[in-house]
Amino acid sequence: MTFEQLLQYVASGLTNGSIYALTALGFTLIYNATDIINFAQGEFVMLGGLSAVSLHEAGAPLPVAFAGAVLTVTVVGILFELLAIRPLLRSGVLTQIIVTVGASLAFRTGALMIWGRDARPLPSFSGETPVRLLGATFNRQTIWVFGLTLVIVVALQLFYRRTLTGKAVRACSINPMAARLMGVSYSRVVLLSFAVSAAISAAGGVMITPASFMSYASGSLIGLKGFAAAILGGLGNPLGAVIGGLLLGIIEALSVGLLPGGSSGYKDGVAFLILVLVLFARPQGLMGGRIVDKA
Amino acid sequence: MLKLQGIRAGYGRIEVLHGIECTVGDGEIVTVVGANGAGKSTLLKTVSGILGIWSGTIELGSTAIHKKSVERIASLGVVQIPEGRQLFGPLTVEENLELGGYAKRRSGRKAHAKLEEVYELFPRLRERRRQQAGTLSGGEQQMLAIGRALMAEPRVLLLDEPSMGLAPLIVKEIFTILGELNQRGLGMLLVEQDARLALSLAHRGLVLERGTVVLEDTGQALLNNPDVQAIYFGQHGGRRDSRTESA
Repeated sequence: MTFEQLLQYVASGLTNGSIYALTALGFTLIYNATDIINFAQGEFVMLGGLSAVSLHEAGAPLPVAFAGAVLTVTVVGILFELLAIRPLLRSGVLTQIIVTVGASLAFRTGALMIWGRDARPLPSFSGETPVRLLGATFNRQTIWVFGLTLVIVVALQLFYRRTLTGKAVRACSINPMAARLMGVSYSRVVLLSFAVSAAISAAGGVMITPASFMSYASGSLIGLKGFAAAILGGLGNPLGAVIGGLLLGIIEALSVGLLPGGSSGYKDGVAFLILVLVLFARPQGLMGGRIVDKA
Repeated sequence: MLKLQGIRAGYGRIEVLHGIECTVGDGEIVTVVGANGAGKSTLLKTVSGILGIWSGTIELGSTAIHKKSVERIASLGVVQIPEGRQLFGPLTVEENLELGGYAKRRSGRKAHAKLEEVYELFPRLRERRRQQAGTLSGGEQQMLAIGRALMAEPRVLLLDEPSMGLAPLIVKEIFTILGELNQRGLGMLLVEQDARLALSLAHRGLVLERGTVVLEDTGQALLNNPDVQAIYFGQHGGRRDSRTESA
């Protein structure tokens, strides 16, 4: 493999990896607030992409379709928490996790009825002409995806590190009862976590649709890979989620280049191979993360 | 200003508190002493709303608070320093303090002024402001827990075993500070196994036995009460006695 080819693979890995990173971050936000693994996370990605497609087809310019789709899915995330998660607060985390599995099926079926079976495209954010950089050609969408992902990650970091509300969310993930004794409303923190988690996953969905289309069924695979990325990075660690996502994307892309036949047939298996390896060899993930011993 | 009437509460179907009456006046320190399992911590939990009550009323001034949520009660100025301090260990000292003031939603200069107030009271916290709370010594952690509660500008402070796990010298320091805070007019409901120390600080004291108040008097009178002395003041304070009793 030449250096130029390597760059090419890395670039395409970064595109998908960014989406895994945002999805993994979505898992992390909800997990930290509630200990719930949200198996409907990938569906937020799918709903984001398809909502943007519809808004764009209805005549909205791309930025408006982007914002509208994120807003729509944020509302879905809020309703999901209010209607499905909150009423089960007393039934325990396991019940809530099972509900997310059910919700993911419901979202997928709903999307099938609204958008049909076909994968739908969205135009690239700024044209199709590739950009040459360091001797390799890059898709413009790659730069958009990676750049916007960085912006989102930095913005989230600032929110959680600098604002009082962000600190309250972190406090809740450490010790919810102590946070409530300071006057922090835990239920609002949970709601906020679902809203933000849905929003960033939806943003990922909109960004990836021009590169790889979106269908009602695309969410589950992205969700599972996002989950693998979160585990790889260390479940509960936001920075780990981002690094895990990007790393997973790059490994996946390189596997296409390196494995015999150069086909992408093995690509989807790589994420799960990594998931299994991590769980065997280093269950706390790359970045440590929280020790999961609450069960 | 804090008034508990006929408090019955418990866990599951087990009733722990059997009709407690208790008031904490403005600027008053009321101490609850009792053996392990007498219901001291349970009583504080009912006040802060962590544990719902089965019957009775809890009023702050003229507001009934016993049906309000934990966070609402905290916002109204009834601030609990929970047993074991419950700091946010991975967050910095300063972040812990900022969160203490969460209910006040201060910003900019006001937030800074309040932080300075607490740092003046606990200079050691200022030195360690950027350090993770979990890395502090036990005494410093208790100071941080108190400082965090003060950020909320409490009307009544609820303290659950502030001496727990601390060396005697540190305990003395903590209680001196509590006394100073009270001089400034802060009312407190104090639960403490070190009965002698707690009663010497208190204006009034209640003796709790198996969920019932069996004795109520001024702190001084209880200190001199032979029954209280016999049961709750061992050579080293009440804690070790109750341990050996139950063992």
